[in-house]
Amino acid sequence: MLNDTQEIRPTPTPPDKRSPLYLLTGLIIGLLLGLIYAWVINPVIYENSAPASLDEGDKDIYRKTIAQVYAVTGNLERAASRLALLEDPDPILALGSQAQLALAAGNDSDARALALLASVLQSSSLYQPPTLENTDPPATTTEPQTPLVPTYTLPIPTSTP
Amino acid sequence: MKRRGWRYLFFTLAILAGFSAGLTYGWVINPVRHASINPVSLGMAYKTDFVLMTAELYDADGDLAMALVRLNFLGEMGPLTFVESAIEYAQTHHYAPPDLMLMQVLAGDIYQALPGKSN
Repeated sequence: MLNDTQEIRPTPTPPDKRSPLYLLTGLIIGLLLGLIYAWVINPVIYENSAPASLDEGDKDIYRKTIAQVYAVTGNLERAASRLALLEDPDPILALGSQAQLALAAGNDSDARALALLASVLQSSSLYQPPTLENTDPPATTTEPQTPLVPTYTLPIPTSTP
Repeated sequence: MKRRGWRYLFFTLAILAGFSAGLTYGWVINPVRHASINPVSLGMAYKTDFVLMTAELYDADGDLAMALVRLNFLGEMGPLTFVESAIEYAQTHHYAPPDLMLMQVLAGDIYQALPGKSN
């Protein structure tokens, strides 16, 4: 008798060999879209910023106004505290250089106010000259400290070649 | 669901996860920092101090036009609005009465100078 039965062997479905790389692709696409949205389209808006964050042009206006107010009120303590808000590395230098620029631009009254505040601040106890950063604290010694007196250490130019 | 459907679902979820991670990084961990900010973004204490400086100068020179130019530094919102906000802040934070008076005088003169308010 002929065996009509036929063995049917269903071909097993091959396991999905494709790697989950598409997940990584989706993740990267999403990350890029998120960064573009957060940095470009809808960035963080800062509020309650301090004058130190202003750009240089606006800082100059702020500094000039402080100097003008000092020129009319003479309140040095208030002017110094306002100047401190700008966090200039050297407020005297900033005032002086701005005064020179104002003078060059023909703004005599502004230049005078800026220079006045610079000179008064320099001679007052409210001014602390800038110090070098990242310097180690001075070592304590028992040696007596010599007073700081100007000395002529520069070579004296002579007329002979 | 067919295998292809699952793949689309996971792909979309991966994009959403990446988007969330990007937002977290861009808004919280490393938000964009501008090198400088606009005076409009100054804190109210600093704006009030600038208005006070303007009022001090106005008290000295009486130049209202110049005072308005100075107040324009704070933005385009309108000088009277700035001065009124500054007075409110100063009252809340107990500024010295002479300083308050200076700002009130400036506010009054700006108000008088507004179109339709002049005597």
